[in-house]
Amino acid sequence: MASPIPLRGRLRRYGTSYAMLLPFLALFAGFLLWPLANSLYLSFTKFDGINPAAFTGVDNFVQLASDARFRHALGNTALYVVGSVVLGTLLSLGLALAFNGTGWLHRIMRTVFFLPSVTSSIALMLMWKWVLYPSDVGLANTIVDWLGGNAVAWLATPGLTIPILVLMSVWGGMGYGMVLYVAGLGSIPQEYYEAAKIDGASTWRQFRHITLPLLRPVTTYVVVTGLIGAFQVFEAVYIVFSQGANTIGGVLDSGLMIVPYLYDQGFTHFRLGYASAIAWVLFLIIFVLSLINLRVGRAMKEL
Amino acid sequence: MAVAPMDTIAPVQQSPHSKDTGGGRRARINGHLLRLPFYLLALTMIAPFYWLLITVFKPPRELARTPPSFVPESPTFANFYDPEWSAQAINPGHLQGIFQRYQVDFGFWRFMFNSIVITTSITVGSLLICSLAAYVIAKHDIKGRRTIFLLIIASMMVPWQTTLIPNYVIMRNLGWLDSYAAYIVPALAKAFVLFFLVQFLQSIPNELIQAARVDGAGEWRIWWRIVLPLLRPALAAMSIFIVLAEWNNFLWPLIIVQSDEMANIPVALARLNSYFGGPDHQGAIMAGGLLASVPTIVFFLIFQKYFTKGIALSGLKG
Repeated sequence: MASPIPLRGRLRRYGTSYAMLLPFLALFAGFLLWPLANSLYLSFTKFDGINPAAFTGVDNFVQLASDARFRHALGNTALYVVGSVVLGTLLSLGLALAFNGTGWLHRIMRTVFFLPSVTSSIALMLMWKWVLYPSDVGLANTIVDWLGGNAVAWLATPGLTIPILVLMSVWGGMGYGMVLYVAGLGSIPQEYYEAAKIDGASTWRQFRHITLPLLRPVTTYVVVTGLIGAFQVFEAVYIVFSQGANTIGGVLDSGLMIVPYLYDQGFTHFRLGYASAIAWVLFLIIFVLSLINLRVGRAMKEL
Repeated sequence: MAVAPMDTIAPVQQSPHSKDTGGGRRARINGHLLRLPFYLLALTMIAPFYWLLITVFKPPRELARTPPSFVPESPTFANFYDPEWSAQAINPGHLQGIFQRYQVDFGFWRFMFNSIVITTSITVGSLLICSLAAYVIAKHDIKGRRTIFLLIIASMMVPWQTTLIPNYVIMRNLGWLDSYAAYIVPALAKAFVLFFLVQFLQSIPNELIQAARVDGAGEWRIWWRIVLPLLRPALAAMSIFIVLAEWNNFLWPLIIVQSDEMANIPVALARLNSYFGGPDHQGAIMAGGLLASVPTIVFFLIFQKYFTKGIALSGLKG
């Protein structure tokens, strides 16, 4: 629709359009684009938040590469991400297959598994902290006691930190994945299964050759959003494992991850330049993951 | 914390793997046997919630006891409000309920109020701003809209923590730290919401809008009178995402909030948790957690249909 309207006419015609876009664009530029550029700049500086930022080139990134705590944080994050996404996706799919019917039992089960998704996340973290209370007043240790074991210091045993974080994440997230998978299952035409049955295909073969391939878009979404969310974990570490500002990562940094470390460097040590460099490492990781997920091309074609 | 079954999650079809269709009783029993691990898993879903719920109604003495009781033996509301408590007591923090714990006016109500103000403003504000922009991008033939839309889509790949430090500096320079503005203003332009609304609007025929233009309606009027009502299901789905995210927002408030008065519920609870760790105080802390969860659970119950539709839409369209 490229009509040769003179400039003044175009302004009159499109002025309202731009005025309607303005609030969004102004906020978008002011609190996203500009801060993004600024954080890139800050990542090349030494900045304590009070004195002006001093340009130091790639120093922060060089330092990060040899920062044992950061490497530890990355390793922890990798373990946590793999554990929570693999387990979470498998259980989401399993739950969806088990409870995708319309009967009351299925509906109640779906609600039970979905409950954490609508509960305050801080409340859930405080709840876990209380369940994992080190003495026998905690639920976990009461069960250990029933089984004849001795009370476990759940939150003070470094080897248990990542497994507990994975467990909390899977427990809290599988209901959400289940809902997506249930919706995906509902969009598979029943005729496929009927045809397969006529051909004498077993339940397993139907699952393997119809269900699983047709669920691939859902799986991609569950996995990629799961990865992105897992890389950004903060509250679980901060609420459940941190004891004040000095041990942000739990005992021996056993739960230290990217965002908690970013917070630690930026807001307890006021190394805002260094923290910005960490933020950009996080950005690059998530950017790559998002490229896989977001089909920018398709969205653009639709426009 | 009983939540009604989610009627709307289920697509109308039966499970392809459900044995209920043909096999009769034995197959049905087999189906339940196959699901047995999941029934056990459901128990582990409920147990922590049950633990939270009974903790809320136990007095401190019962909370510190081993082995713990599984039904409150002397149930009490004192974890919410303790009529016995007085500031002159020897150990004032000991029995105090959640509404009495904070040294701010109105105690816990203050944080409820903060959270409600913040969540409501962000939800209404961002839906208005994003729907305006989405209307232009989806239905106006202006120069540069492809570029703008591409930029907005690209920005969805930015984890918000990347802009955390500069945004904190901006808030400080504006003198907004510790204010509602710091909560609300940076949270208004939501790329995902705009993206979702644009996609939704593209599926709506242009004729409706053209007809209104022919009738002489202005663009603002069309947006308010035609576009917003058409967008209602999409707005409902998005409002649920926004409400849940903002109600639970923690890291950003943790950074911008200094005084006790301006804390939202998550920050208030985190502070309470770091001041009082022992079992004596768990009753009050859990009472706070329960109160923090009630609004989102109620909201979910009311908007269930849109909720699951929104999840499915955003998930499956990719």
